[in-house]
Formats: sequence, structure tokens, C-alpha cells
Amino acid sequence: MDVLAVKGITKYYGKICALNNVSFSIPQGSVYGILGPNGSGKTTLLGIIMNILRQNSGTFELFGELPVSHVRRRIGTLLETPNFYHYLSGEKNLQIAAAIKQKGAGDIDKVLKMVNLDDRRQSKFSTYSLGMKQRLAIASCLLGDPEVLVFDEPTNGLDPVGISEIRELIISLAKQGKTIIMASHLLDEVEKVCSHVAILKYGNLLTAGKADEVLVNEDIVEISAKDLDQLEHLLNTFQGVSQVKRLEHVIQAVFPPGKADTEEVNRFCIDHGLLLNHLILKKKSLEALFLEITKN
Amino acid sequence: MLYNLKIEWLKIKNYRTFWILAGLFVISIFGINYIGFAIEQETMKKAPEAGMILGTSRFLFPDVWGTIAYLSSFLLFIPGLLMIISITNEYSFKTHRQNIIDGWSRLDFIYVKLADAVILALGSTLIMFLAAFGFGISSGGFSSLSFSGSQYVFYFFMQALSYILIALLFGVLFKRSGIALGVFFLYAVVIENMAAGLLNRYAGGIGAYLPLESTDNLIPFPFLKNVVDQVVKRPDTTYLLIAASIYLVFYFWICKRRFQTDDL
Repeated sequence: MDVLAVKGITKYYGKICALNNVSFSIPQGSVYGILGPNGSGKTTLLGIIMNILRQNSGTFELFGELPVSHVRRRIGTLLETPNFYHYLSGEKNLQIAAAIKQKGAGDIDKVLKMVNLDDRRQSKFSTYSLGMKQRLAIASCLLGDPEVLVFDEPTNGLDPVGISEIRELIISLAKQGKTIIMASHLLDEVEKVCSHVAILKYGNLLTAGKADEVLVNEDIVEISAKDLDQLEHLLNTFQGVSQVKRLEHVIQAVFPPGKADTEEVNRFCIDHGLLLNHLILKKKSLEALFLEITKN
Repeated sequence: MLYNLKIEWLKIKNYRTFWILAGLFVISIFGINYIGFAIEQETMKKAPEAGMILGTSRFLFPDVWGTIAYLSSFLLFIPGLLMIISITNEYSFKTHRQNIIDGWSRLDFIYVKLADAVILALGSTLIMFLAAFGFGISSGGFSSLSFSGSQYVFYFFMQALSYILIALLFGVLFKRSGIALGVFFLYAVVIENMAAGLLNRYAGGIGAYLPLESTDNLIPFPFLKNVVDQVVKRPDTTYLLIAASIYLVFYFWICKRRFQTDDL
């Protein structure tokens, strides 16, 4: 079953098109990364799904039905910024959230411990650091053990330790079978945890699907020899190579994902009388891949 | 609704600003009425002949209901201010978004704010009622207690609701507390009084039916009644109540529409 199905959503802010006919669906149990540069429409999309923004056209379904407010109680959401009453303590803020969700009032101790905020539970929200605010927001998402979690830039404002803790938390939630929808511009984050991705740019959905299909990562073999001209010529005749690129001091031979065999390349060159002085297998960085997908 | 009101209670229970202002409102109600009372006493004592014009004390039953309602109404900007703070806090903390993300519908949110407004108006009215009761008893004793003239308690409620709902409206329209408060005070204190004055002078008295004027005029100036009644023609109470009710519905209708259709 799809947890969320987005159907042709378009949203304008005045003349600016923030989302242009976006459609995709999120299967149950997936960790779904919504990727995109700043201003690509990630938060707008999640805002529409949470009914705090109004789309100009299109519809969406949550758990297979048209959305009504009580359905949102099954989803723990952190959208853009932690939104809490500044003059109340972290604990009291969670009591309000639990009361609105109509569940999770008994989870407050547990979730505060999960995000390491237990010792500051009585402090006013206004005294929290940015990272603590973010932790409280994540704690609030976890109230009532929801089936689906929506995290918009979950590691915003966290220190390296906090980032890795939240990443561990997300992975452990995914292992419990929860569906996680995560918007991020931190590719590293997405690469480490997501099973599915959708990529947005200027409100257009560029691609969506399983992570290993969308983020097809080619093998790159970097080779060098004394005579680069001869090497380049030779590599072009090598079976299975999809592209040969000449850089300043090395030549890159690009292979389809998982198809590069460095031993084979080495033997091939030696058999043709060419000795290599450099041979290394590389993966294209996700960043480069992302730039490639989002360029133009 | 009762459940959602409990959540509203959680929001303000530990909000010190709210309680300080509410406390000041209670003190001020008794204060402003005491000033009126003291001035009347002083005048009667120093110039007994003024009693001819003043009539009997306005702080005796049954007149005390109207007197206290009139004097207290000058402080109704305070509950208005509380309403503006309560709604613009939600906007500045973005908790209006979070409440909806967590599972309220947009209607839940705006209806509970309407309920807050009604409760605030009832609370203000209760304080005014207690003040009138206290001043009446202390002026004339228990035996003088009378509820004739207590329709002014209801008129005061209408007036309070009118100030509070217009405050809610400005809060919803402007979202930021500074501008909402500025416009609220400017409108309540300056603009409407000026417009009412002009309309009364040049357009045959319809100034009395402007939004806040329509409830202000429900409670007449209580002193010098003998003289004032001969000089000033009072607008009809029924028409004032109808006008006030239409405005109240209209304020809430705009708030609701705005909150339902806008991006939050």
C-alpha cells in the first residue's frame, strides 16, 4: 500500500511556480528521500500534505484516502523549523502536542530520553540551543509511536554527534518498519539512509523511484601510463567500457555500475604492451551525480 | 470543543504575561470605578446643591449596574490586547501550523479561538458584575440589592465580545503583534471616534452604528442623567443590538474564511 500518493500538485506563490504538476507515491515501509537544492519546493510539498499550505491544483491521498485532519495524527512531522511555545518548558510543549495528537501523553519521558533532552525537560523552550530545539521537534514527532514520520531537514542545526545520533535513530525507526519521508539537501544523509528518492528542482520532479535505480552510480577506473595517447586509443577498444575521458594526467574509463574489473583492465593493457603506473577504481560522488541530474 | 479548550488552557496556564495583564485588568476595573465613586462622593460633600442636578448616587442599586458597566468599558482594550497576544503568539511561534500538523483541522483551530474570545468576554463581564455588586452593596447595603437595570451586564458582555472579536480579527489579518496592536488601538481610540463624530454630525446620527460605537452606545453616560436625557437623543437599543450582532458574525466570518483558505 502507498502511504502517500501525490497526484499532479501545482502550487504558485504569486507568479512563482513552486511546484509544477508533481506526482509520485511513497510505498509503506520505505525511507523516502526528497532531494533538491534550496528553494526547489521540498518544504512546500510537505506543507501542502500537512494542510498548512493550499495547492492551486492536484490532489493527494494519505493511507489511500483523501486527507482529513485526524489522519495527520498517524504521522509525526517536523516541518522546516521546530514550532513550540517559547514561554513553556520542553515537557509542557510535548504535553500540548500529545493532547492534540490524542495519543502519546505517556511517551513523553521515553521520547525525551531518546533525543537526550531529559535533563533539560523543565527548561523553557526559549532557552534551548538550536540543536536542542531540533531534538525537541524530533521527540514530538515520536509521540504516540506513529506509523509514518516526516522529517524536513532533520539534522538542521545539530552538531556532528547529534547528526550521527539522528541518523542512527532514523535507521532504527526504519528497521522497525516505519515509513520515513525525509526532505534534505544533504546528499550524504540521503545516501546513507534512503531506500527511495525523488529529486525536485525549481518545483519540477526530475526523477523518483528506488534509490539504487535513480542514483545509478557508474564505476570509474582511473588509469595512467607514460604514453597517454596510446592508452586512450587502447581503452576505446576495451570491451564493456561506456566512455573514455582524458583528463590532464590520467584517463578515466567509465563502466556501467558494478561492471568494472580492474584486474581485467590491467591484463588487457599489459597484453597490448602498455605498462600502467596508476590504476584505481572510483565511484562517482553522489554530489557529482546530483549536480548532473539537476543541471539544466 | 471542551477537549480543545483544555489544550488552550495548557497554552496559557503557565504564560505569565497573560496573567499579569489579566490581573492588572481586574485591579483597574475596581480602580476606575473607585475613582468615579470617589469623585461623586467628593462633589456631593463639597457642593450639596449639585445633588439637584446629579440626583441620587449612581452607585446605588439599580443604577450601579449601568454606572459600573460604563466606567469599566473604558478598560475593554485590555481583553482585546490579551486576545491579540494569544493569536499573534501562535503566528510568531508558528504553533498555528504545528497544531494543524499535529492533527487539528483548520476549523478546530479557529473555532477554539472563537471560544477563547467568548470565555474572555464572559470573564471580563464576571469581573464587571462583581464590581457592580460590590459597589452597590457597599453603597446601599444588602437590603438595597436589585437586579433591575442588570441588562447593562449583558450589554457590557456584548461590548466586551465586540472589542475582543475585532482584536481577533486584526490579529488574524495582520499576524504580527506590533501591527495588530497598533491598528487595534488606533481604530478603537482614534479612527472610529473621529468617523462617528463626523457621521453623527453630517449623516444624521448613523455614526452610532459603527462597529465599536454600536456597543459603546448600549451603555449611556451614567452621570448628570437628568440633564443629559433632555439634551441627547439616544440611538435605539434594539437597532444597536442588531447592528452589534451583525458585526460580530461578520468579524468571525472573515477570521474563519481567512484561516481556512490562506497559506498558514
